[in-house]
Amino acid sequence: MPESWLPAFVVAAKSVGLNYAFLLNAFEREAWLKGVVVSVELSFLSIASSLLVGLVIATALTSERPWLARPARAFVEIIRNTPTLVQIFCAFFVLNMLVSQALGGPQNNPLTAYAWVVIVLSLHFGAYHAEALRAGIEAVPKGMRESAASLGFSRRGRLIHVELPLAFRFAWPSLINNMVDLVKATSLGSAIAVGEVTYASLMIWVNGDNVLELMIFIFLVYAALTLFVVWLGGWVEKRLRMPGYGH
Amino acid sequence: MATDEALALETPRESRALPRARPTLSPIVPWAVGIALTWLALAHFHRDSVAMLWHWAPHLALGLRMNVLISVLAIGIGTVLGAVVGALELSRCRWIKAPARGYVHAFRNAPMLVLLFFTTYVFPFEIHVGSLYLPFPDWIKVTVGLALPASAYIAEVFRGALLSITSAQWEAAASLGLSRSQSLRWVILPQCFKRVLPPWMNLYAMITMSTTLASLVGVTELLESARNATNTVNRTDFTILVYLAVLTLFFLYCYPITRFTARLERKYAFH
Repeated sequence: MPESWLPAFVVAAKSVGLNYAFLLNAFEREAWLKGVVVSVELSFLSIASSLLVGLVIATALTSERPWLARPARAFVEIIRNTPTLVQIFCAFFVLNMLVSQALGGPQNNPLTAYAWVVIVLSLHFGAYHAEALRAGIEAVPKGMRESAASLGFSRRGRLIHVELPLAFRFAWPSLINNMVDLVKATSLGSAIAVGEVTYASLMIWVNGDNVLELMIFIFLVYAALTLFVVWLGGWVEKRLRMPGYGH
Repeated sequence: MATDEALALETPRESRALPRARPTLSPIVPWAVGIALTWLALAHFHRDSVAMLWHWAPHLALGLRMNVLISVLAIGIGTVLGAVVGALELSRCRWIKAPARGYVHAFRNAPMLVLLFFTTYVFPFEIHVGSLYLPFPDWIKVTVGLALPASAYIAEVFRGALLSITSAQWEAAASLGLSRSQSLRWVILPQCFKRVLPPWMNLYAMITMSTTLASLVGVTELLESARNATNTVNRTDFTILVYLAVLTLFFLYCYPITRFTARLERKYAFH
């Protein structure tokens, strides 16, 4: 459904030397818009699962059992000190291959490139979230912990009802930072042909001389997405504000 | 007075919110032992594929050299550019300040991969200087593409550091008879250095890890060399080993940097 303002926009862009003719091609326009939708989906799916992963790892990191805390620490250090792209390649070219071999051929493998990107981004940013949450848990005042214990909370009850709710609020600004980085990292999906906005644009600019024009669009998409995440984060922060903590 | 009161109330809460420094032994040793044992075990149980990896080692080393080269140049350019932009950000003139802020925001909010695509596809492949055609190879474009976001991050770090020095320091230096440039050189900058160094090193580790993105625009660095090796040999165990080697190399390069950064942060922390 070509909107009436679209040709007008293309003509106006042409007058300043920008070639947006691809917008008038229904096939390319739909493909690009689908890329935007995939980027949004990928971002929010990964943000949700990375928060869950972060919660689990943070619990393990602050555990008093060394067999739980040490592997969690090792995992976090490996994730933080190796490139995200290498992690994506390791997942897609090594783990995916092993899964395919175990299931007897790639046709039986239910995991797609999209799924691997979600898995890797969740684990990667989960590790970063976990570090922020660990700092938050350690920042819970000692008196708070002791009073919870004296009220008869078990260690688990203390973690769930006292430490984590506070740690979450302390860590929230760093968590938002990580989420913004996550949104930007979804562009790495293009490396293994996940059809998000960067990949969709790549597919269009190989056919035409419009790299700069698409680049401007991509920047706008990521700017809008990161701004939305920051705005949503601010809203949540306000909702979670407790008297006596934060400003 | 109201601000003093607020400060007095703020301070204990702020210090409580900081993560406690844990007095631990350097974890570098267990990591080194663990990595060495893993590779010894691999060399023992997968002798032929490790031999093949050894055969490909020069190719991988060339790749790694490219990563190091790009990262060092990018952080160098980024630091110089970032210092300038950071200083401009503190300018009192609105017409200087606003573009500097815009520069920082634009480059911090764009994904690095997209910036790399931008520099590789939009920049020309050679530069025309008079009758001279200077080649503009992809790896230099990648360096520029990484230096731009690096400079934006460094500008923020510099700005924060300069702002964190209280004006009392300037006044004290002036009362000792130091000129403005002398106080900058002997009083302010040495204090800034301590604040800038840890985030600067963190950024260097981040830039180093981002150099792998160069493989996506056709520069032969470590990840690209690894892909070449695995595609040529095309054997499951070799593929696993090569990627394990890439992970190990990056970890060996970046982990000491982040450990050292964490130590400096503890050493320079306010108490």
